[in-house]
Amino acid sequence: MIVRPSLLLLLAVVLAAPRVAAEPGVTDTEIVVGGSNSFSGPLAYTGEQITKFGIDLYFKVVNDAGGIHGRKVRAVYYDDGYRPQDAVANTKKLVEQDNVFAIIIPQGSPPVVATLEYLEQQKVPMLFPYQSSPVTRGRRYVFQGMTLSDRSSRMMIDYLAGTRKFKKFAALYQDDEYGKSFLAAFEKDLGRYGLKLTATESVKRGVADVSAQIAKLHAARPEVTFLVLVPGPAAHALRERQKIGWTDTLMVSTGPLTDEKYLALATDAANGVEGLSLWPDPMTSDLKGVQLYRAYMLKYFPKNEPNRYSLAGYFAGMLFTEAAMRAGRNLTRDSLVTALESIKGFETGILPPLTIGPDHETQKQGFWVRVEKGRFTPLTDWLKSE
Amino acid sequence: MGEGAPLTTAALAHVVVSGLATGSIYALMALSLVIIYNATRTLNFAQGEMLMISTFVGWTTLQVLKAPLVVALLIAVVAAAVLAWGLERLLIRRAISATHFDVLIITLGLSLILRAAAGLLWTHDEFPFPSFFASQPLAVGAARVAPASLGIIGASLALMLALAALFRWTRLGRAMRAVAQNQRAARLMGISVERVYSASWILAAVVGAVAGVLIAPVIFLSSQMGLVAINGFTAAVLGGFGSMPGAVVGGMVLGVLENLAPLYLPSSIKHSVPFLLLITILIVKPGGLFGRVTARKV
Amino acid sequence: MRAAALAGGAVVVLGWPWAVPRYFVFLASLIAINAIVAIGLNLLTGYTNQLSFGHAGFLAIGAYAAALLTIQAPLVPLPLTLLAAGLVTAAVGLALGVPCLRLEGLYLAMATLAFGFVVVEAILNLDWLTRGNDGLRVPAARLGPWPLATDTSRYYLVVTVAALLIVAARNITSSRTGRALLALRESEIAAQASGVNLAAYKTLAFVVSAFYTGVAGGLFALVVGFLSPDSFDVFLSVDFVAMIIVGGLGSILGSVMGAAVITTLNDSLAGFQSYRPLIFGAILVASMLFMPGGIASALHRAQPRQGDRA
Repeated sequence: MIVRPSLLLLLAVVLAAPRVAAEPGVTDTEIVVGGSNSFSGPLAYTGEQITKFGIDLYFKVVNDAGGIHGRKVRAVYYDDGYRPQDAVANTKKLVEQDNVFAIIIPQGSPPVVATLEYLEQQKVPMLFPYQSSPVTRGRRYVFQGMTLSDRSSRMMIDYLAGTRKFKKFAALYQDDEYGKSFLAAFEKDLGRYGLKLTATESVKRGVADVSAQIAKLHAARPEVTFLVLVPGPAAHALRERQKIGWTDTLMVSTGPLTDEKYLALATDAANGVEGLSLWPDPMTSDLKGVQLYRAYMLKYFPKNEPNRYSLAGYFAGMLFTEAAMRAGRNLTRDSLVTALESIKGFETGILPPLTIGPDHETQKQGFWVRVEKGRFTPLTDWLKSE
Repeated sequence: MGEGAPLTTAALAHVVVSGLATGSIYALMALSLVIIYNATRTLNFAQGEMLMISTFVGWTTLQVLKAPLVVALLIAVVAAAVLAWGLERLLIRRAISATHFDVLIITLGLSLILRAAAGLLWTHDEFPFPSFFASQPLAVGAARVAPASLGIIGASLALMLALAALFRWTRLGRAMRAVAQNQRAARLMGISVERVYSASWILAAVVGAVAGVLIAPVIFLSSQMGLVAINGFTAAVLGGFGSMPGAVVGGMVLGVLENLAPLYLPSSIKHSVPFLLLITILIVKPGGLFGRVTARKV
Repeated sequence: MRAAALAGGAVVVLGWPWAVPRYFVFLASLIAINAIVAIGLNLLTGYTNQLSFGHAGFLAIGAYAAALLTIQAPLVPLPLTLLAAGLVTAAVGLALGVPCLRLEGLYLAMATLAFGFVVVEAILNLDWLTRGNDGLRVPAARLGPWPLATDTSRYYLVVTVAALLIVAARNITSSRTGRALLALRESEIAAQASGVNLAAYKTLAFVVSAFYTGVAGGLFALVVGFLSPDSFDVFLSVDFVAMIIVGGLGSILGSVMGAAVITTLNDSLAGFQSYRPLIFGAILVASMLFMPGGIASALHRAQPRQGDRA
């Protein structure tokens, strides 16, 4: 009585087993990529923007134009809620059950770093992860996405300590790889100016309340306070400092945070905030590529407002497509890597011309912004990070 | 960790007032839970999610109808009442006669359903919610006090007084107290126990909706907002589960403790305070500060 | 008939890795691990009426204990590591179970809920040992000279341990006391009146339940290979409660089936994250309203009477 259902299940499973393609994720008619990302939890908004309104937007455009050498592109995502353990399990599922060709733009330093070893073992490319930890550097199958924390820090400290001559710095950081990699970078770069961080406070990932941390940082009276956080806690930080009347510090956001999203949450507490922006203003920039991105967003997702997160996803889609086109019809993971490494002086119309070197980094720059009337406006041109 | 100047009295005052404000919200949540528990002897695991949905409904009227905040509050309250009435009649009442934890599991399932529904209707993003109160801090001597904190404390106290009046002087309130004391006797005296169940669910939901609209500007509106109800439970246990004055005191104490602890201990302790307190109270003195002893010797 | 069913089941279980794609072997390991937890939870809830919303905490303790032992003392044989994980968790179960004797129903459920959170916070804050929020990589284990480097080898380990624990559980529950507890689950007063030392058995149930979950945690660490505290949250505890509700309180077979149903459901809904809690919640509500005895009672009613079986 109990045997029969099990046998049926067995049969169904065997029949449903996917056909093994020559190269995983590549068939005659389609290319399948995927990634573990956040669709719930602290990064739910950014995750959805990066994937559904970012990469998927670009892939829609590509597919409507005939695909990549006649193959349509499709992406599969699973939710890890910003949890490293779940990211590992999701990634295993993507590689072994969905047979994805490559992992594309997974989000969050801790989840991404957790999956590195497995992907390296399986020789699956990880493309443009939306994270800033330098741990991802120097791996054959990994190509960085956003500007990494050591480069960001260099630009930020050179600007603040070097150009604007600030001396007292504090940091409110997330207590994991994301926050700690920035903290380490800040200490190193401040050391070059003979300075140190005056005060630091940490926040656990997933916790929004930062009132105690703000109170303690206030007591240290720093001139500049770095926010190495995700949008929710960062907005709370701004509101909390408004509540206690702490006006004499400059709040500075790191790259992944610098977007109007956390300003919108902070409403009227968002004045005078500055930061390092990794992207041109998605709403107002007149760069060709950004205008095109806006046009496509209007066409396919008219109700979705352009932002740096979907722009990052869109950009990742663009890079992947360029590389896959260069690799030709005979698309393999190795030919993709070679194609990516061949990209020199590539005009995206969004960021400065892109050259991918042996360090596999695709973004190395940022520029300084300051809040004016609820939007980040540029104060500098692209800053140098080396 | 950088140590600057020691904590001033001004900073302390700010922290205590802040703590009383969040404590008031915990008190309201605790009252919701206790109202339902007293009348029906069941715990509503979905209380937080119901509050969250009502607040979202109120928020939608702000976005779509561009209505003033007061209207949003009213809509939230009405939505809460309707939701509570519907859930109680359709689901809870069917299972109420069942033994042990059936209703608990049902409300647990409901909390999952409501959270998922909120995600589908409004996404899992977080949203700013307008406040009735100004955001610039008031200067009281050297101390800075947030008008929102004072406003929340005041509004909560007003609501608590209204509840106390309801329980003391109205027929419904007396009926609810009778059912809480002895259901069978109340029924024998002609009180409709089913109406009391309905009323308790609706009342609890209404209190929750007010709490939601008060707290949403502070913690942001999101599908996760309902998890604040766990602190409400801790507050209720702290004060003695079943006691309404206990719920209020428990809430205030929890709010203040939660805010004071991270000043003298590592900041990350704040998140753990409710759970540490809950487990300590349950193990040491389950009756809470004022409660009737509900632990029994095995 | 029953022997044939067991034999058939054994064939399926043993032959599974050879018949299915690799990912399903991993999934089957997860089902077996969850089944162990579900059985442990059922021993606590189904038999001594102590509802726990904190079993994710016990799982975390077992997982981290095994992981840290494997990292710090790699020469310790694997069976000992698993045993140690179980014992450490059992000790914590004892520490929790004794004070909880005074608590009834609701209060106990909330105490276990708080326990679950406290455990995760503790693991998080011991970050010099556990690597906190960044998570802990679990090195591949060895069983004697054989490295357990593939999903298949790990599957056989998990299934073997699960089989042993299932047999042990059956022995516990088909003992006279086990059956007495089950029959008297509804009324503690009656149980006491019939001479059963309720306090002792309630505590023992906590300890055994924690032991099972701790061993399952150790296996979990090996199979998944990476741990982070935030994954052991209250929703995982609810998953386990759902397994025994759906499978049937007081039934070992029910625990296994409940684990299979919930684990498979979670996996197949992975692409529909927004609907998963909705479906889950609906299943919980529907189970309580329409099938309070779970799958096990439905099966029991479907079969002709065959005498007393747990």
